Amino acid sequence: MPTDTKRVRGPEVSQSPTLFLCKHAAVFPSHGPRADGRQRDQVDVRPVFVRCGLVSQAKGSAYIEAGNTKLMCCVYGPREMERKDETDMKCGKLTTDMRFAPFSCLERGSWIQGSQDKDLSLMLHESLQPAVCLHKYPRSQIEVNVMVLENSGSVLAHAVTCASLALADAGIEMYDLVLGCSIRQNGASYVVDPSYMEENSCSSVSSENQGGLTVAFLPSLNQISGLQSDGEMTEETLTAGVRTCIEGCYKLYPVIQQALTKAVRRAAPPPAES
Amino acid sequence: MATVQVSEAEKVYILHGIRDDLRVDGRGCEDYRHMEIETDVVSNTDGSAKVTLGDTAVLVGVKADIGKPRPMVPNEGYVEFFVDCSANATPEFEGRGGEELGTELSNTLYKVFNNKHSVDLKSLCISAGEHCWVLYVDVLLLQCDGNLYDAISVAIKAALFNTKIPRVHISADEEGGKEIELSDDPYDCVRLNVENVPCIVTLCKVGHRHVVDATLQEKACSVASLIISVTHKGTITCTRKVGGGSLDLESIFEMTEAGKRVGKALHAPLMKLLQQEESLGKARQKVGFLG
Repeated sequence: MPTDTKRVRGPEVSQSPTLFLCKHAAVFPSHGPRADGRQRDQVDVRPVFVRCGLVSQAKGSAYIEAGNTKLMCCVYGPREMERKDETDMKCGKLTTDMRFAPFSCLERGSWIQGSQDKDLSLMLHESLQPAVCLHKYPRSQIEVNVMVLENSGSVLAHAVTCASLALADAGIEMYDLVLGCSIRQNGASYVVDPSYMEENSCSSVSSENQGGLTVAFLPSLNQISGLQSDGEMTEETLTAGVRTCIEGCYKLYPVIQQALTKAVRRAAPPPAES
Repeated sequence: MATVQVSEAEKVYILHGIRDDLRVDGRGCEDYRHMEIETDVVSNTDGSAKVTLGDTAVLVGVKADIGKPRPMVPNEGYVEFFVDCSANATPEFEGRGGEELGTELSNTLYKVFNNKHSVDLKSLCISAGEHCWVLYVDVLLLQCDGNLYDAISVAIKAALFNTKIPRVHISADEEGGKEIELSDDPYDCVRLNVENVPCIVTLCKVGHRHVVDATLQEKACSVASLIISVTHKGTITCTRKVGGGSLDLESIFEMTEAGKRVGKALHAPLMKLLQQEESLGKARQKVGFLG
């Protein structure tokens, strides 16, 4: 049986104090306004704060904050790499790594599986790979490291956005930016950019459509580079959800573009008008 | 995944064929290869199944152990998946080579079964908060010729159908503690309801069309694939895009619709076959691993 060797947990008998609460985790209603005042069934994403160029040692870096979700990403590369097999000589290699800080989630360790990090890293890799011009960096390796500082929902979507911003900040050639958006379907209504409580609560009514969907989107090329869903949904709900996520990505696009132009201006100010 | 080298000329040949709905082995774009399923192949397990899909062979064993339920859900049992890529399949899997693929496969399986209806977890509870059945589903890849997800999901469904969980009785002993007794009759067991267990369909995008059940050569010509797990009712429990390319919005919708159609059509004949095999009982001819 595979065990989690990456984390040092407390002794086996220790349990989270939240288990002993008198009232169990609230069942979130599927009607009415959301806890943070946003609208249900509408593309209402959390306001986003983005900044590039935070980490001086990295080639490129970005920090994103959406509600209480905070993530940062650093990009190192392109670095020369000795490859064991000859097949990958013609194009570069992109490695992604996504980690959660131990204090980032509500419960330390009890719900996190060690393999969840690997799974998210793999999905991040699949979402970023179509956008990066790897054929321009033969025999090189580009490393993308994402660190989640606080997990308040929709972590993968924001990680994708943050990573593509960091890649752009590092000057890596890309076909397009990759933006991520996620929704949570709860019965007949959906919430866009769910918070942690909205993601993990289960509705008391075990209706058909229950699940989450994350989409990574390339806006100027109008292509989907990453798609992941779980739970149980009908096909119509899924397709409607994908369209909603794409709308959410378009809403995020101007903010990301603005952050990138600000970073470029700061790094290389335009020549003064004489 | 095990890969084959495909030349440019071969790629063009495969692409043009698929464009005209004709694949290298003569199948249509939505046809599966010849599938063979046999259950109850390993006698030490509580349930097992072996599935051969073309040249891909997968063996699944299910063992039921008594364990402690998860703290957040005290009245449910749980299922654990583990996929092992055997070095028999391809030399790339030797040592730790197959670990990455194995983790990817088992993580996807967790997502596929991460809903209330696939496996009735409440029926796996023995006494709330103290004892429950834990089903360890172990998948072993024997041969790899593309389309692992589909073969694995069919094998898991067959193995769960074949699983016989012993019946237990809880009795109180002298000090007031609970004692678990297994019934003496080895045939007194509980079967699982596998109606809602989903099947995974992998659709590979080759050129402008998508193909179901791609061989390794076809996989080498595709840039992206979509994995969809579909139940017999047509609900989708998990989707995932794999591969290093991007997909158009319309292709995703087309592939989802095709995946749902193909997946839904897979369940009825599968259940019929499993029930037929079960009904043969002792008269069944065992094929095993050499057939």
